[in-house]
Amino acid sequence: MIALGLTAYWMFTPHVVRVRISTTTSLYQTGLLDRLAERFEEKHHHVTFEFIAVGTGRALKLAERGDVCAVFVHAPRLEEAYVERGVIVSGRIFAYNYFVIVGPSSDPAGIRGSESAAEAFRRIYRAGEEGRALFVSRGDNSGTHVRELSIWRLAGLDPQGRPWYKEAGQGMAETLVMADEMMAYTLSDISTFLSLKERGRLTNLEVLYSGGEELINIYSAYVVESCGGAERMYAEEFIEFVAGPEGQEIVASYGEEEFGRPLFSPAASRLQELKALWEKLAGAQG
Amino acid sequence: MSIAEEVLEITLRSLAVSGTATLLASTWSVPLAYILAKPGRLRGLIASILEALVGIPTVLLGLALYMLFSRSGVLGFLHLLYTAKAIVVGQAILVTPLITVTACRVLKSARESFEEMALALGADDLQAMAIALRESLPGVASSVVMGFSRAVGELGIALMLGGNIRGATRVLTTAIALSVSMGEYDLALYLGAILVAISVLVSVTVKFLEEVKGP
Repeated sequence: MIALGLTAYWMFTPHVVRVRISTTTSLYQTGLLDRLAERFEEKHHHVTFEFIAVGTGRALKLAERGDVCAVFVHAPRLEEAYVERGVIVSGRIFAYNYFVIVGPSSDPAGIRGSESAAEAFRRIYRAGEEGRALFVSRGDNSGTHVRELSIWRLAGLDPQGRPWYKEAGQGMAETLVMADEMMAYTLSDISTFLSLKERGRLTNLEVLYSGGEELINIYSAYVVESCGGAERMYAEEFIEFVAGPEGQEIVASYGEEEFGRPLFSPAASRLQELKALWEKLAGAQG
Repeated sequence: MSIAEEVLEITLRSLAVSGTATLLASTWSVPLAYILAKPGRLRGLIASILEALVGIPTVLLGLALYMLFSRSGVLGFLHLLYTAKAIVVGQAILVTPLITVTACRVLKSARESFEEMALALGADDLQAMAIALRESLPGVASSVVMGFSRAVGELGIALMLGGNIRGATRVLTTAIALSVSMGEYDLALYLGAILVAISVLVSVTVKFLEEVKGP
């Protein structure tokens, strides 16, 4: 009976094209990609998107191995390396938001009112050395981690190996929960922080510093060069849709009902500016 | 610190944490197994519950203990969360059912065949117990080895209770998970080979020691 049922199931399921897309957990967990895919699938009945949410490094590695047909990521420096090797092509910036420095509301390092992110990190370093503050780092070579390291460099400091500097080697949500437990500071993308805060998972953490373009977080989509056929066609079409007027409208409003404010800004209106910032981030010495 | 040094540090931490957890678990699992190795309705019930718990998902146990050890949890005042000690406690609980259930099997047959004989030959209860334990030592040792293998190879507890903090709570499994998430498959496989080698080595060593000491 079961075998018959399964056979019937496979026989009568209409033929659909599956498009596999690897992405970072922080982006996937917001639900934006699912919303975009739903809208796209409404018009294209023969396509279904499968998102594989992993660390940024692995998302790009999956592309290199040909296991996915597109990638949605936010780590310009890592992306650049794969673009250069021709693994991923036709990059489109489709959204941006900002990183924030979060920490315990008591703010033991006094970073509120810092003039720059580097200045805030200097204050955390000083307080850490004096035993008044802790910092939890992603420590996983993710987009957020790469950015955190570049801020330390801007500040002219190297916290690696300091007893107050904890390298978690985990995802954004896990790192935030750890920082919350330890009353520590960390760098987070605003969307993951808000979604955890909204669900009551973070009782001690608050946004203590949010900056301008120094903390900008740029999301890009790419097609994987080795992908072909109908899967590639739909992957390209989906990225066009996301970067196009309809997709950008979804990006602009996504999260408003749930978090009281949009989680992302659409990239279309500031594309030239964002491209320049992306280049700057991609070229940042590591 | 070079990569090799870091790998060595992580390996030693894995050995220390899971070894301690296994020995700790054995201190109560083996006596428990001895008690359960006698027929009885209640004993049978406890044994079947433990059997069911052998395969408990490590993330589930990790989550439950995280809730206990969290700052806002009942045991938050112990400040165990994100320390190696927390992993030891978690893994000790994790391997308790496995060690108890497997040791119980061996002890049961030993109690059946040797204890009764010893008693019939005029030994007192303590002597009979000593004989049963000695006869089943190789089997009990295998149980403990299995427990160690499960502890050193588990991920969920080390990740949730330890936090995978570099230089503090990073063990082989969490280091593997991290390498995979970073796309560093070669390093992950290399660490995995060390993990398997450790388990095999421990198992073979115990077997060897038994044969040397053998009856």
